[in-house]
Amino acid sequence: MNKQQFRVLYREFLFRMVDLEILAPQGETSKLLGQFAALLIFVSLWLSFVAGLMSAGRTNPVAGLLITWVAGHFLVATTMLAVGLFAVMSWDSTFPDRRDVLVLFPLPIRARTLLLAKIAAVATALGITVLSLNVFTGIIAPAASASAIGVLPLARSFAAYWIATFAAGVFIFCGVLTVQGLAQLLPRQKFLRISSFLQMGFFVLLLTVYFLQPPFSDVADLLRNQRMLYWVPSYWYFGLFQELAGSTLPGAGLLARRALMGLAIVACGAAASYFLCYWRTLRQIAEQPDILPDRSGLRWLPRFGNSFQTAVVQFSIRTLLRSRQHRVILSFYLGIALGLAMFLSSGPALRQFALENGPWYRVNTSLMVASIIILCFAVLGMRVVFSLPLEIRANWIFRVASHAGAGPCLAASRCTFYTLALLPVWIAAAALFFWFWPRQIAAEHLALLAALGIGIAEVGLYGFHKIPFTCAYLPGKLHFNMAIVYLVLFLLSVTWGAELEMRAFHEPALYAAVLVGLMAAAAVTRWRTAAQVGSEEAILRFDEVPEPAIYALDLHRDGVTPLP
Amino acid sequence: MLELRNVTKRFSGIAAVDNVSFTARPGEVTGYLGPNGSGKSTTMKMITGLIEKTSGEILFEGEFIQRDLIAYKQRMGYVPEEPYLYPHLSGLEYLVMVGQLRGLPSKLTAERIDGLLRLFSLYGDRHMPISSYSKGMRQKILLSAALLHNPDLILLDEPFSGLDVASAQVVRSLIRELAARGKVVLFSSHELEVVERVCSHVVILHRGKLVADDSIERLRTLMALPTLEDIFSQLAVEQDTVAVSRQIADLILA
Repeated sequence: MNKQQFRVLYREFLFRMVDLEILAPQGETSKLLGQFAALLIFVSLWLSFVAGLMSAGRTNPVAGLLITWVAGHFLVATTMLAVGLFAVMSWDSTFPDRRDVLVLFPLPIRARTLLLAKIAAVATALGITVLSLNVFTGIIAPAASASAIGVLPLARSFAAYWIATFAAGVFIFCGVLTVQGLAQLLPRQKFLRISSFLQMGFFVLLLTVYFLQPPFSDVADLLRNQRMLYWVPSYWYFGLFQELAGSTLPGAGLLARRALMGLAIVACGAAASYFLCYWRTLRQIAEQPDILPDRSGLRWLPRFGNSFQTAVVQFSIRTLLRSRQHRVILSFYLGIALGLAMFLSSGPALRQFALENGPWYRVNTSLMVASIIILCFAVLGMRVVFSLPLEIRANWIFRVASHAGAGPCLAASRCTFYTLALLPVWIAAAALFFWFWPRQIAAEHLALLAALGIGIAEVGLYGFHKIPFTCAYLPGKLHFNMAIVYLVLFLLSVTWGAELEMRAFHEPALYAAVLVGLMAAAAVTRWRTAAQVGSEEAILRFDEVPEPAIYALDLHRDGVTPLP
Repeated sequence: MLELRNVTKRFSGIAAVDNVSFTARPGEVTGYLGPNGSGKSTTMKMITGLIEKTSGEILFEGEFIQRDLIAYKQRMGYVPEEPYLYPHLSGLEYLVMVGQLRGLPSKLTAERIDGLLRLFSLYGDRHMPISSYSKGMRQKILLSAALLHNPDLILLDEPFSGLDVASAQVVRSLIRELAARGKVVLFSSHELEVVERVCSHVVILHRGKLVADDSIERLRTLMALPTLEDIFSQLAVEQDTVAVSRQIADLILA
């Protein structure tokens, strides 16, 4: 293997784990990657803070041990989720793609070198993900889990934690690679067809397992659910951690054996996938086109307002339906919403409700909360994917052919928002609630949901002077570090709002007040968005412009005009 | 009539286009020539309104284009140098979208698209995604999109790129035909033989500056050179091309 070629390719592949073409000219890859690492480090800091508080508050050794087990399992499960999400997001970067083959194969590079560089880049990215997520928790959790006081037990616990979390990460990542490898056995174009469905399937599976896996509550529960836990991978690696750390957790040995067996299977699967890629797929990539021409896709779409709005909305619908990258990102938000909704719906409150009032689908706050969460995340997810461009260099046609300013563009974006985010969720909610609930209550809830949806959509449209999918993305604008705080506040508000709504169903005056309040809020946000787009600064943007490093205050003496 | 008056474009203080003035008249095809990096595509982008000029004026039919850029764009068709298209759309969907963006009546758009796709031999592939199109097919889509709204000003930046012989002949005749029907055509290309056959008037740019602006016939007479290639070499090529090729051969064979 040529070491220089390997180094060059390794660096290239590592920085291409993210799609560089979406970035604005001023956007820096390092900033985007730094933001991703910072998010994971922040989560780690947050989790270690919570774990520290829990450990400090323990009252007796038994309770303390239980807390460290709960925290240990949670950390292993969260690491697996983060790595799994990363694996799904970098789905197309884990194997050489068409561009790699067409650019690199004419050069005197062995396929072996190319593949090894790819594997090394993937392994580095995996390592960075696990390391960033555990940079703080990887110190706190082993310290709290040490079987005895002293340097040796501490070192053993520390090593056990890091071995278990890395093994958990490798298990998930190799699992994804194995599935991709198996799919590669299909003819190339069939593989490309099902690849996006596999990616989405994995995505849903990860979030569903994470939110619905049986929580570790006590040892008796663990013993009672033993059979089921043997099929939940997060418990295998938690068992591995405990076994290596010398813990007294019952059944840890069996779980650890499962962990090692699972790791061996997926590692072999991943190795076979790369082997298959080496012998079969690389040749196929060069011989066959990447996208199977499709004549049977969705061709007809209705008109949406004037011709400009129709062009923008139809373009947006087609882009969302056909761009895997955008669909995956939207699924990420919808998956979180569904997971949260399922988590809240399967909680103790709903179990208690079911015991007292009958089936889960009766009128209850959990279902209201679920519908509101899904609506809000659908709008949020749509706002995020609208900001990410597709084929950025092709947006010249909008610049040249479009004769609309920021105002008509806002109207078109609003129409797109309503069509793609609000309407589908609202219709699904209407079908569900009219099916299960009395008509009047269902109608009342849907009216509130519509007013709320319009309000949050208008908030999302504020300052959005773009045609969806056409403006370059400038990393560093999202405040990930506040995401958890916002999420907690959001969940508290939604829960409080659902309880208020529940009361309002029995008090018409209160219901009227809530509805009028939400409609007024929606009207105000809509007016605010429209007023902003009507201002002189509002221009249609195709490139994100970084915030200025220096703001001019335009201060000058009375009667003296500042120099231009 | 398209008129550029002392147009300059600077990037980070460096002039990519420096004080360029010329006129393209209806009824004639104006060739816009220059070596790589001479500022041709930058000028084209300024004329389309894609980038802003640093100074100078651009007028179309006596009006500053910036005065009503939207109305100006409605009358302009542009084929860019690179065939950047949305690959997830089919050729038909792309052209329909362009028609909608330009606000054309849907019936008229459908008729024109149908006709253009048939005449450019793309009708059978109209539902295929553009990602599966060859370079020549993409170029035909760009040409169709540029002509869909019957523009008065047609800007063509390397329009023959990727076209096969028959299609290139069609496009060559089309350019002449459009000019003969009163359109203003500004045509940029490196293929000097084609330019010589198609254009009546050429503008030559070198290092961002205008070095020639006249009819080909007059340039031939003035410079006493037989072909446009000779004129271009004299005005815009600094290198001794034979010597450079010899040096390259020497370098790789050494």
